[in-house]
Amino acid sequence: MITFDNAGKRFGNLDAVKDFSITIKDGEILGLLGPNGAGKTTLMLMMGTVYRPTSGTISVNGYDVVKHPNEVRKLIGIAFQDPRVDGILSAFDVLNWHLKMTTMFDKVERRRRVEDVLKSLDLWEARKKRTWLMSGGMKKKVEDAKILVQRPSIAVFDEPTAFLDVPSRLLVWKMIRQLRDEGSTVIVATNMMDEAERLSERVAIVNKGRLVASETPEQLKGTVKGGEVLELTLNDGSEFKPDLLREFPEIHDVKQQDNKIMVFLNSGTLLLPKIVDTLSSQGFKIESVRLKEVSLEDVFLTYTGQRLE
Amino acid sequence: MSFLPTLASALSSPPLAKESSTRLVFQMALRDVSVLFRTPWIIITRSLAFVIQLFVFAYLISRLINVPGLNFFQYYAVGSVVATIASISFVIGYDIFEEAEEGVLDYLLTLPISRRQFIIGRALGGALRAIIYIIPMFLVVAVIEGFAQPLSILSALLSLFLLAFGVTGMSITVAVSVKSANRFDVVLALLELAVSRASTALYPIAFMPLYVSVFAPFSPVSFAADSARASLVGFTLDLPAIVGLVAFVVVFLGLGAAFYFRRLEGGIYS
Repeated sequence: MITFDNAGKRFGNLDAVKDFSITIKDGEILGLLGPNGAGKTTLMLMMGTVYRPTSGTISVNGYDVVKHPNEVRKLIGIAFQDPRVDGILSAFDVLNWHLKMTTMFDKVERRRRVEDVLKSLDLWEARKKRTWLMSGGMKKKVEDAKILVQRPSIAVFDEPTAFLDVPSRLLVWKMIRQLRDEGSTVIVATNMMDEAERLSERVAIVNKGRLVASETPEQLKGTVKGGEVLELTLNDGSEFKPDLLREFPEIHDVKQQDNKIMVFLNSGTLLLPKIVDTLSSQGFKIESVRLKEVSLEDVFLTYTGQRLE
Repeated sequence: MSFLPTLASALSSPPLAKESSTRLVFQMALRDVSVLFRTPWIIITRSLAFVIQLFVFAYLISRLINVPGLNFFQYYAVGSVVATIASISFVIGYDIFEEAEEGVLDYLLTLPISRRQFIIGRALGGALRAIIYIIPMFLVVAVIEGFAQPLSILSALLSLFLLAFGVTGMSITVAVSVKSANRFDVVLALLELAVSRASTALYPIAFMPLYVSVFAPFSPVSFAADSARASLVGFTLDLPAIVGLVAFVVVFLGLGAAFYFRRLEGGIYS
């Protein structure tokens, strides 16, 4: 179990993480969802004993990260957002050395593990290629592979599928799920909604260094009033006032981003003609209309007031 | 998809324990050494440059000057090995600075090795790398000068290793103390010039101008050059020089570690 108790990290005058509290259960996949700069990486580096928290405490399986950093390091493996590999070394050497540092496996077992994972990730043919000569996607797979060969008790992935094509993304998700099925606790930091929704059992929304919400994706969607979202794109939204639509009792919230209006409501099908009439009578030209169920993206917008790009 | 290793089999392996600390330090050091072997052309070109310097420059100068009791070619040959190992030992600082800039350091710091072991491993790696690097040059000098006494050679190599260990500590200290890349390059280059040129590695102290001769006896490169010559040529141990080298190692490894910890705890590499 991992516990953040009012953890904070301050760099100079900037609070990268502030009053962050969450408990991550053994064997769960937790998605840390937030925009770039939200503090996700700082959280992971504090948990991984690279940064010392400036306030609060963090414990990993009962070990305080400040008092027992060496014990914590034995439990955790982190795959970074940007591949952190020695460019001059080959993929095989990078993974083999990683296993030498993190496990007591003999040469035969190390080779077997590296071979298995590299073959699964379609990197076996390129195993001798120096990583600085690899494409961004290949390097990213090598970074993820470090944790997939190590199979630590606590596996942390920072944007695990950035730079990857769709088949590779699906494959990495599958391999991460396998890791969890074998008993690892998995933390996935991401700014991709579909990744958080499809991979995580629980999603923690992080914004400006703070924990905004933490529930299962379905529970989070349930916290958004209405259950439906009407997305309207106006020709020119500069004169739009949300109060214009709030007169309808079925509408719970209205948010605007430039020309896009998000209406959180019930009975969207019945209400749609009335909304269109209201806007048209005020001189707004509607370019497109889309009625959908609440998504994690809408949840994020509701909690943070911004979209994840 | 092929078979993937399971956590169960991962957990069945012995966990990392205290007795594995030495192994981790060694692995950390080997990482630095392995990088050197991935670029053998560096060793080959630098060895060639060394040979040219020796057989052109040193040979020429030794014919120009005639000082009774001084075999300048021999003096220069041993000294240039010492100066070269000092120079190559500084490279670890560049590596660490680059790792910090590229974020590789963050990765290394998540590995199950204590900070103290990490520093020792890096310094040891830098020193081993430097020793391996100069072995071809050392052999050239040993062959042409006829240095064949095993104990003398071992003693000289010990001096060289101590110098390399201390210089890597010094280099790490600078790498974690200076934030700007340009400033780092300048500081390290000046430091390298100061400890190598203001030393007895390449010319005897008696011929130095006063402003250099005042400092030269205290340069760690002088300690190593003097003790290496004492071993190889005089078949004696220059104990004061070796004590000076040990002190140099202790001071700069300590300083390197202290600066490293301070910077890391402050999160300077964010």
